[in-house]
Amino acid sequence: MKKVFKGLVVAAVVTMSAGVCLTAAADTAKLDQLLEQVKKSRTAEGKMNQQREQEFLSDRADKQALLNRAKAEFAAEESRGKSLTQQFADNEGKLAAKEAELIAAQGTLGEMFGIVRGAATETIGGIATSNISAQYKGREELLRKLAEAKEIPEIKELEELWIALQTEMTESAKVSKFEGNVVGLDGNAATASVTRVGAFNLISDGGYLVFNADTQEMQPLVKQPESYIVADAEAFKNAAAGEVKPVYIDPTGGNLLRLKTQEATLTEQFHQGGTPGYVITVLLFIGLLIGAIRFVSLSAASAGVKAQLKNLGNPSEKNALGRILKVYHDNKAVDVETLELKLDEAIMRETPDIEKGIGIIKLIAAVGPLLGLLGTVIGMIGAFQVITLHGTGDPKIMAGQISMALVTTVQGLLCALPLLFIHSMLQSKSNSVLHVLDEQSAGIIAAHAEKEKA
Amino acid sequence: MHSLIELWESVRDFIATGGDVLYIVAIVLFIMWVLIIERFWFINREFPVMRDRIIADWNARADTTSWYAHKIRDAWVSEASTKLSERIGVIKTLVAICPMVGLLGTVTGMIAVFEIMAVQGTGNPRLMAAGISMATIPTMAGMVACLSGVFVTSKLEGKVKSAVHGLADSMPHH
Repeated sequence: MKKVFKGLVVAAVVTMSAGVCLTAAADTAKLDQLLEQVKKSRTAEGKMNQQREQEFLSDRADKQALLNRAKAEFAAEESRGKSLTQQFADNEGKLAAKEAELIAAQGTLGEMFGIVRGAATETIGGIATSNISAQYKGREELLRKLAEAKEIPEIKELEELWIALQTEMTESAKVSKFEGNVVGLDGNAATASVTRVGAFNLISDGGYLVFNADTQEMQPLVKQPESYIVADAEAFKNAAAGEVKPVYIDPTGGNLLRLKTQEATLTEQFHQGGTPGYVITVLLFIGLLIGAIRFVSLSAASAGVKAQLKNLGNPSEKNALGRILKVYHDNKAVDVETLELKLDEAIMRETPDIEKGIGIIKLIAAVGPLLGLLGTVIGMIGAFQVITLHGTGDPKIMAGQISMALVTTVQGLLCALPLLFIHSMLQSKSNSVLHVLDEQSAGIIAAHAEKEKA
Repeated sequence: MHSLIELWESVRDFIATGGDVLYIVAIVLFIMWVLIIERFWFINREFPVMRDRIIADWNARADTTSWYAHKIRDAWVSEASTKLSERIGVIKTLVAICPMVGLLGTVTGMIAVFEIMAVQGTGNPRLMAAGISMATIPTMAGMVACLSGVFVTSKLEGKVKSAVHGLADSMPHH
């Protein structure tokens, strides 16, 4: 790199000296001319420099003027600032005075503002959850604005509060029908015609609806009240205008109805009975089955006996009385005492068949309540164990156990009641057959024999 | 008509406070009294006719002393006794069932009370009061129903017994 640079410098020096030599050689007179020219241009440059100096000087004067002007402006602004500060302070004072004046002028109006806000706050809860809001939606928005506002309410807002309160009042005295969006238990929304009874209840075709204030939707109750109440409600809903129909209303606006849905259903209660409950149920079914079988066979036996009574001449092997009569027909020749013994024997043979199964029904009817009692005691033991563990502080824990204890009692009684009834029915049925066999068969045979002899 | 509706309303209110078990008590009581009245009717109206016919038949018989005659008389008495005591067993069962149904109401009412306790705690005795009235009213109704039947039934049984004896005594061997 250095070598290249050196080479370049040498080449330049050689070229310049060659040029100078050539000029000097060509014309020396031109040197004077050049000198003259240099002198000339020195004067011209001097003039130019002078002129530039002049320009700079004039510029400087301008700048000085500008500076002076800016200084003057600054002074002016500063004084203006001072005066404005003064003005601001004055205004502050005026403002304070005016505010005091305003408060003095408001006087009782301030209290009114408090009352308006209080009334709005109080009303929000009632109106938001009221069944009337199912029909007229979004009424509580305005009240909420009014309750949260910092300013003094305007006359328009005051009127809105008045109207909101009076709408609630007027509507709670009305029964009105409207079309509304009802969200079913399966989550599907559908439009249904709804009858609103004041602020108390919403009735649709399926029964009572409840208004959910959070979602602004109407929902059917998870569990409707007793069927006759629902039937009355539906009849009321479908009544023509001007017709008077009774209806059950919930004065709490749906809370009681919601509370009712928390009651346990029958199936839930059944399973609360636990093992004793299941045993009782099985026994009940066994008892009912035996009862049904015995009812059929006793009916057949009694029908057979009745048919045989009308046809004493031909004893049939198929019924009890027939078999007894057969004994007489086979032993017509024997003396009276032997015949009686033989008849007694035949009757003895028939009796167990007729009385069969009746005892066991009575036994089950007696065992049912006992098992129920057993369940009760088991439940109570459970309850007391809970008390030992958790104390009596929370009655809810105990209540579950106790209701289990009671359910088994109910089941025991429910087992005993029908079985007692069935037992008494079967007993009287079998008694009537037995009476015929036991007490009347000898007489029937005697009457028949007399007739044959005559 | 208006007073009848009011009466019906008050009955329905009573049943509403006492729970559905009262319907069972009412049904049991109704059947019991229908059967009791039917029995009294039979003993006092129909049985005398039947008794007179049997006695007339007996008196018309030539033979009243043989084994045959004895057996025939026994059969007639037994037939009459069967007719007389028909359904008495059912009546007695119904009488016995009444307090049990009442007890059923007691227990279902108590279940309602404890259910409310399980949901609401013991804080609000008003809520429990509904269950308690459901527990006590059926018990009372069952007891009243039972008592109304007990005396009548024993009277009825006595009547049947004396009627059978009377019949047997009016057919002497001669």
